[in-house]
Amino acid sequence: MTAAARPMASPRRSAAREFGSAVRTIMVKELRGRFRGRRAFVVLTIYLGLLALLAYGTYVLIAPTARQASQFGGAPNASASIGIGIFTVLSFFQLLLVCFIAPAFTTGAISLEREKQTLDLLISTPLRPGAIVVGKLLAALAYIGLMILAAIPISAIVFMYGGATVDDLIRQQVVLLVTALGLGAIGLFFSALIKRTQAATVLTYCAVLVLTVGTVLIWIFFSILAQRDAVGVTRRAPEQILWVNPALAMIDVVAGTEAGNVGGLNGLLGQITGADITNAGGGVTCNGNVCFQTDDKGNVIGPGSALPGAAVDLSSRPVGGVVVACPADMPPNQCAANGGQPIAAVAQPQSAVGHFWPRYSISLAAIAVLATLFSMRLVVPAGMRFVFRRPRRQTAPPPAPGSVAKEPPASPAAPDVPADIATAEDST
Amino acid sequence: MSMALPPVIETRGLVKRYGDQIAVAGVDLVVGPAEIFGLVGPNGAGKTTMMKVLATLLAPTAGEARVCGISVMEDPIEVRRRIGYMPDFYGVYDDLRVWEYLDFFARCYGVSAERRAGMTGDLLEIVGLADKRGAYVESLSRGMRQRLCLAHTLVHDPALLILDEPASGLDPRARVEMREILRELRGMGKTILVSSHILPELAEMCTSVGIIDRGQLLRAGSIRDIEVSLRAGAVLQVDLLGDETTIAGAETWLSNAPHVGDVLHGDVAAGLATRLEIPFDGDANDQAELLRSLIAAGYRVTGFHQATSDLEEIFLKVTGQDEEEGAA
Repeated sequence: MTAAARPMASPRRSAAREFGSAVRTIMVKELRGRFRGRRAFVVLTIYLGLLALLAYGTYVLIAPTARQASQFGGAPNASASIGIGIFTVLSFFQLLLVCFIAPAFTTGAISLEREKQTLDLLISTPLRPGAIVVGKLLAALAYIGLMILAAIPISAIVFMYGGATVDDLIRQQVVLLVTALGLGAIGLFFSALIKRTQAATVLTYCAVLVLTVGTVLIWIFFSILAQRDAVGVTRRAPEQILWVNPALAMIDVVAGTEAGNVGGLNGLLGQITGADITNAGGGVTCNGNVCFQTDDKGNVIGPGSALPGAAVDLSSRPVGGVVVACPADMPPNQCAANGGQPIAAVAQPQSAVGHFWPRYSISLAAIAVLATLFSMRLVVPAGMRFVFRRPRRQTAPPPAPGSVAKEPPASPAAPDVPADIATAEDST
Repeated sequence: MSMALPPVIETRGLVKRYGDQIAVAGVDLVVGPAEIFGLVGPNGAGKTTMMKVLATLLAPTAGEARVCGISVMEDPIEVRRRIGYMPDFYGVYDDLRVWEYLDFFARCYGVSAERRAGMTGDLLEIVGLADKRGAYVESLSRGMRQRLCLAHTLVHDPALLILDEPASGLDPRARVEMREILRELRGMGKTILVSSHILPELAEMCTSVGIIDRGQLLRAGSIRDIEVSLRAGAVLQVDLLGDETTIAGAETWLSNAPHVGDVLHGDVAAGLATRLEIPFDGDANDQAELLRSLIAAGYRVTGFHQATSDLEEIFLKVTGQDEEEGAA
């Protein structure tokens, strides 16, 4: 009794457990191969050595100028600018490497199995296609993840100098890891889609190029177009295109270290998001206790993506902004008009930092999920695809004599079955 | 309720099309438990396609295929738990050790850790790779890889083994070893579906064969049954000593003997003897009588036996007949 009842008690949980162990099976196999011999360790050592060297090189370059510049400003500023410099260089260098390495680890995941004719053996096992794909992706990410996490102590050198905080480092790690996930999944997708590893690799790097450079070009194209189209109103190109750009996400992270949110990177971000640091034509409108950034029309454009009237954390109120008390029920644009604040008078730097990296992380995670789902479908042998789409019934005794006896008629899914049969009989 | 077990393999009207090309054209096949069923056919006959359908790697265009009573389309995962599949062309994971390779597939089939530990050793013992346990798969010879692949089909103790050309590319010695392993597996109660174009191989190890050509199963049954259905009588091979005139005399004598058809001048048998092949439709008594009177007639007989036709011969006959029918 108990033996029969146990597997039926939680079919979903046991299915999840089965999936988990299947993923682990693939991961163990992949990682056994990956960490075989000295290669994996040598690559990791070289990577870390390179990063350390780069950090030192940056220090050597920056330190003299920083000290000179701080003759008037004081030592803390010199130290901070060294820290920021090292953090910037390390962040971008790691991002570059992740962009190169992450796809390389997955573009062969499925296509190599096809080329070496091991895929048929693998998919003729009861392993779910999903487990195969997820296992492959996680195994690749495990190694890249190790490289990224192992570099934290080198990035942490920055803390000796200041300038970058723990928050900055966490953001940097999130962007790096999510980049590895997204680009790895893209590589996996092309690997499952295309038979030849070479072609899959070329296409994957094309996709990476599109994400990093292509999106910027498209955005520039759109912004030129938008400026020309504008009739009286300056419109901006849709910044959403840039949400998938790893470089911009890292620029966003690094810009967070710029003192007082003023600097070159901030200016760049401001231009893109429209939170112009010069704020020409825009202003601040406040509704009750809540302040909004507005454009020259009085439309709320920031901070964040706050909707008109939606509560905004006061801590994110722009530095130096003028708070105008308005009745709570007064619309923001009316307030701007009634408050009598000349728009030019509230010109002040606005921060666009923190805008891109969370959006980027979510976008890439979504891309990763989609790419993985598509890869699953592509791994299933052609012609069997629709079979795997169907949810598997726990008790599906085929109309053959022997096997009917095995399954007791009572099952969780049983109530549906007689109902269907009854209606079918009624109608005939 | 009937307690009879369903046949291990059952296909009904199995059809597989690739575009407008038909690979399998309506095959009905039933294979019972503990049989070694040999699928024989020329290249492109549809053997591999049939096996892939049974291994749930291809969806049939029409018809039904069941393994142990389970439809390959309705529940492919359950079918996979019951079969071990060895493709005709396959690779191995070079970067794994032999035991890791088997351990990996055992995990794929959800074999528990306790059972995995002892099992790899046992399987390697069966296929004769026990001393290669810690070697890299990369370092194995072709024959060894073939046996390793065979071992991998056994990790989950399946009821049915589907082996696509397991002996292809092996040297004679390795082939004999492979055959011995298959016999041993049959002794363990496994049903084996094996394909080959090396026909005599199958004749020696199969309990039944199916001859497949251009997607159709032309004949199926035990080798003896097929033989009987194909020939009116047996062929006797008679080896005689003597010069040409003696042999010519013997030919004339034999053609006048009862139950004998047209005598064929065969090859030179071992040594100095000449082999004559005579179609014979008598029974064992008639055979003995023929031999007695042949010797009594003064001919020096060094050999007298019934030719055992191998599958190659049967196969050529069957496919030949088919062509004639097609032409007619």
